[in-house]
Amino acid sequence: MATQNPSLSSLEADVLVIGGGSTGAGVARDAALRGFSTILVERRDLADGTTGRFHGLLHSGGRYAVKDPSAARECIAENRILRVTAADCVEDTGGLFVSTPWDDPEYGDQFLEGCRATGVPAEEIPVAEALRREPRVNPGIRRAFLVPDAALDPWKLVWGCARSAEEHGARILPYHRVLDLEVDGERVVGAHVRSERGGEEFRIHATVVINAAGAWAGQIAELAHCTVNVRAGMGLMIAMNHRLVHMCVNRCKRPADGDILLPLRTACVIGTTDVFVPDPDQTEIRQDDIDLLLDEGEKLVPGFRQARALHAWAGVRPLFEDTAKVAETRDVTRSHALLDHSSREGVAGFLTITGGKTTTFRLMAEAAVDAACEQLGGLRPCTTAQVPLAGSESHTLYQISHRLAAREPVPQSEEIICECELITRSGLEDTIKQRDTTSLDDIRRLLRLAMGPCQGGFCIYRAAGILHQGGQVDQAGANQTLLDFLEERWKGVHPILHGDQLRQARLDDWIFQGILDVEHLPV
Amino acid sequence: MSYDTVVVGAGLAGLTAALRLSERGQRVLVVARGVGATHLAPATVDVLGYLGDTQVASPAASVPVLISSSPNHPYAHVPAEQLETSLEWFCTKTAALGYAGNLDENLLLPTALGVPKPSALAPRSMSGGDLRAGGRFVFVGLKGFKDFHPTLIADNLNHARLPNPIEARALELVPPSSRRGDLSGRVIAGGFDTEDLIDWLAGALEDRVDPDERIGVPAVLGLRSGDATWQELEKRLQRKVFEVATLPPSVPGIRLSDVLSSALRTAGARIVLGVRAVGARAKGGRIEAVEVVNATGTVSYPVSSVVLASGGFASGGLELDSFGATRETVFGLPLIGLPNTDRVRFAPHYFDAQPLATAGVATDDQLRPVDASGSPVYENLHAAGAILGGATPWKEKSGTGTSVATGYAAAEAILTPAPTPVSEAVR
Amino acid sequence: MNSLIRDSLDHCVKCTICETYCPVSQVTPLFPGPKYIGPQAERYRGAGPPADSSVDYCSGCGICTQVCPHDVKIAEINSRARAKLWEKRGVPLRNQMIARPTVIGRLGTPVAPLANWALHNRAVRGLVQSVVGIHRDAPMPSFAGRTFQSRARRHRGPAGAPAVVYFHGCGTNYYEPLVGEMVVAVLEHNGFRVIVPPQDCCGLPLQSNGNFPAARTYVRRLVDRLVPHARAGLPIVSNSTSCGLMLKREAHEILGIEDDDLKLVSESMYDLCEFLLHLHDRGELRTDFMSLPMTVPYHAPCQQRGHGIGKPALDLLALVPDLHMIELDVDCCGIAGTYGLKKEKYEISMAVGERLFKEVTATGSDLAACDSETCRWQITHGTGVKSVHPIELLYRAYGLDRRTRAGSVSPELQTARVSG
Repeated sequence: MATQNPSLSSLEADVLVIGGGSTGAGVARDAALRGFSTILVERRDLADGTTGRFHGLLHSGGRYAVKDPSAARECIAENRILRVTAADCVEDTGGLFVSTPWDDPEYGDQFLEGCRATGVPAEEIPVAEALRREPRVNPGIRRAFLVPDAALDPWKLVWGCARSAEEHGARILPYHRVLDLEVDGERVVGAHVRSERGGEEFRIHATVVINAAGAWAGQIAELAHCTVNVRAGMGLMIAMNHRLVHMCVNRCKRPADGDILLPLRTACVIGTTDVFVPDPDQTEIRQDDIDLLLDEGEKLVPGFRQARALHAWAGVRPLFEDTAKVAETRDVTRSHALLDHSSREGVAGFLTITGGKTTTFRLMAEAAVDAACEQLGGLRPCTTAQVPLAGSESHTLYQISHRLAAREPVPQSEEIICECELITRSGLEDTIKQRDTTSLDDIRRLLRLAMGPCQGGFCIYRAAGILHQGGQVDQAGANQTLLDFLEERWKGVHPILHGDQLRQARLDDWIFQGILDVEHLPV
Repeated sequence: MSYDTVVVGAGLAGLTAALRLSERGQRVLVVARGVGATHLAPATVDVLGYLGDTQVASPAASVPVLISSSPNHPYAHVPAEQLETSLEWFCTKTAALGYAGNLDENLLLPTALGVPKPSALAPRSMSGGDLRAGGRFVFVGLKGFKDFHPTLIADNLNHARLPNPIEARALELVPPSSRRGDLSGRVIAGGFDTEDLIDWLAGALEDRVDPDERIGVPAVLGLRSGDATWQELEKRLQRKVFEVATLPPSVPGIRLSDVLSSALRTAGARIVLGVRAVGARAKGGRIEAVEVVNATGTVSYPVSSVVLASGGFASGGLELDSFGATRETVFGLPLIGLPNTDRVRFAPHYFDAQPLATAGVATDDQLRPVDASGSPVYENLHAAGAILGGATPWKEKSGTGTSVATGYAAAEAILTPAPTPVSEAVR
Repeated sequence: MNSLIRDSLDHCVKCTICETYCPVSQVTPLFPGPKYIGPQAERYRGAGPPADSSVDYCSGCGICTQVCPHDVKIAEINSRARAKLWEKRGVPLRNQMIARPTVIGRLGTPVAPLANWALHNRAVRGLVQSVVGIHRDAPMPSFAGRTFQSRARRHRGPAGAPAVVYFHGCGTNYYEPLVGEMVVAVLEHNGFRVIVPPQDCCGLPLQSNGNFPAARTYVRRLVDRLVPHARAGLPIVSNSTSCGLMLKREAHEILGIEDDDLKLVSESMYDLCEFLLHLHDRGELRTDFMSLPMTVPYHAPCQQRGHGIGKPALDLLALVPDLHMIELDVDCCGIAGTYGLKKEKYEISMAVGERLFKEVTATGSDLAACDSETCRWQITHGTGVKSVHPIELLYRAYGLDRRTRAGSVSPELQTARVSG
């Protein structure tokens, strides 16, 4: 709790949102659309927390139909909304639930019944049909069900919300860390913030502060002496080099580890695990979890262990619980929680929206802004279920072939900097300008730079050169950017390095060390 | 068709061994999955660039130090004088490209990032870039060619630690209009082969470069007639011009591979690409035939000797599976440089010492792969190049040097076999 | 097999080696290269319709797969992508036509003189170009007027001799039956009885034009003809390296035919020179060659190199006294089967072949040798130099021209022998 420091400059707003994941970006958008002046702060890059690290499944609700009916209902409703309002972020892959030889085929009946009861459209199809659509799925499956799962691009979604909010007057501030909350009597009046890139500190005064910091919500709430008991459930994900499946494929059983395999842009992802971690910023990847995912993958897709594993990462899911601890975090509810701290702890002007999943982010945001309205002079209607995000106005769903089609009829009519992910020079330069950043990692999140098979082997050099040529960085800056990016990529590669990806990594070593000799750059 | 020796692998080590054997009268078959890493590497012959963190000025002085501290290093198994002999031989075989240099002093050539990198031999189209004497340099980029950033090169060189001061700057030229916006090094080289790009380049440069400036261009100066384009350009500009190696494809590397392959063909050898060596038929500790998979199935080639030059992990000569097991992929040979743990745990920072960095096959002094007791696995199997363990060539800058030296030494061991003691301990 | 081809994209480390060798992307920006179209674009191909029509500029030469050090089935991935593209668009009339050499053959053979006149008449070719899309200058062979099959039916081989089955292909049947006769003569000279089963097209042109269902039908029909002999343990020889490769490998890998009969036929399939060289390795090849004092450039077709058998033609011809073969080291002649016939691809095809044409011409020889018929027609078209199958040199070296009707096929050879 900080006393006000009069020497710091300050910004003013109706609403201050803390946290730049899907929840925070959704809240900022909703508030801005309702005409509230809004500022969002996020200590890292947008969507660099949970939202950017999940597998991208836009739930149909099938996964929760048996265990968590209210979550299932929420999911199918939001699924339908997002397909319209965020069409450009959604690929209509469809979803498949399959009973592998390791699954009880009778669960399929419970599954169908649960879907029926919660309004999730589900249809049993012949196994032969499922295998025709997904030739790599285990031929030993005994039952198969279709549901309207889809694949969501979380970065597009979050940035889409952020841009939409900015169009309505909001200020979105990534790389701004909340150092403290400013409390005046029994009211939170704002935050003391530092720019992580520039170093300057300043204050933001807001009528309502909305804590959308996800797995870190507890840390933020503490700054106002409030308690938000969020457990961080770490989940491991492995991206495989190409789409082994074109649909979101789920095991038809009670939700457990490693039971989903779905497309994530040009890759596909196997997930996930669930391990309680005391600190959401400490997520060390364990070999046992890697093996578990590879083994589960092998059950769904025989030959999985010979397929190329590209990258591994861990995200932390925020699991809110209002009561005493439970042993396995998976059983804690996934539904969201809206906490009004004025009624809970007597601290006004402060709300926390936590828990939940990206699929229901819009709903969570709506609930939070509805509650904030009470302290902002009265309820204004929410329009986020109708107004499309920028880029989704035509309601055309995303196609995986889009980047390929965009290069036709003369694919090499302009320089392609990242060939794996088909990123052109102009696309890269535009993004650098837009983001006003020199961090290749920031650009990576927006464009998928270096996220393909070569993991930057060819494009890192090119991108660093372009940054330098464009004057955004000097020679030392270009070198550092390149080295930082190499280090950053390695983090996700080294835990699953084997087979084809080791072959690639070794070629990349030859390029960076043998040809370019980056180790002896003047730094 | 019967062959004296089958060489597995068409990279620099394989081509070196095959050529040495062929020119001495052997009938040689080279089998390979595909083209070798010559097409990716800068085409200089790097014998030793770094000993730990110290830059090596003289391989002749430093290699013995290296060998005494790393007795498993491939150079440790090359007979002492053969390192030098192999390089001299290499220079005669590649006379068309004018390789020059020696073991006493490394050249210092700029990389495409502007880092001075030591090399023992360089083709004449590249050696003009030697930074040791200092001087003035201008680096030339081509719009549309994304694999060369002259401003960054010049900037980094201006900040580099060098024996004599240099002054570097950059120029960007716009090549004649083409329908392509994205040029690859190979396509540009093809342009020099078939069109008047030399006219354009000479014309574009002559008024923009001072007489005392050396001109660094990306390594794209033609392919089909060796380094004729480079020669022509120097003649017209009356200045030193040098090629700078950049990301793959390596045009100088392709020239090198073409020269060696052509020499092999003239010497009567046969090169078959697109096939896979999968094992051997052996009896009594000798390989009788090499088994190769082609379009129909498996074919057996009876042989007297075999050279395994299949490369390391990058080439598929070694493989690590998802369970943590490493294997040599053609003959299943025993390996050194494997971690003691049952799983391979890579270190969390990119520049840390990493496991498997020195993994590969151990050999005796005839370059024959040996088992844990030091005995040759097969009497007539030799190995060369990146399949050999005991070194981290990309770090110490010794890849091409190892390929030439061990390729040559393996061939020599086949041509003039030393008397073999019953068991040989690995030194 | 579907999976194995697509999944091989996992081995791609973007090394660019395939792009370095692709003869088409070198000469035209319309084709971005095998790495792009193959393992790279394949990651973008979902269940939906194909997005990239530039895949159609792949000539299918297969060099990319041969040079890839990492076992990526690049050409095969491209081939399948093209088939999906044409499946969606519908294969145009022109491609349907040129993809069925047996149909063209059957139509043209009875009216050969007229058909040949038309094919070499500029006005007619101009019309054909605008209506059908076959380039007016594309090298089209002449109908022989009588098929090889019809001659083979009348031929009796030595009874009781060990048998070998001859898969002659459409080129030999309709355009070069004399080559077929030479093949039979050489095999008989070496003590074989040659069985020529009734047979049709192997389906390769249908495959390379993206009509996979029709191609599969053709393959199955042909396999039905050949498999009884394969079951009897007989070797099958082919003098067309592309058709031979189709049965050895491509029908399985590209068309995805998983068939024990096809497998048996594949395992029994030999390229003609491969077969003769095996005989030589066993000491069973007659080496009673006469002197043939000539210098002849030899081009190994892309698909010959795809067999992975080396260059047996050169090893065989090295046995002929005074014959000096020049091994050309150029990758592709450009015709790529039916690719170079197409009006939008003809110029690309000629640009690809230019280096080969130059090297052939530079030898000063009146004759060139090449195992594939379409390549031979392209070489002649690009250089004016007569091109023969290597078997023709062996045939002359054995002196068999003196003993059979096929003697007068190559006046250049006659001249060589006379001048001795």
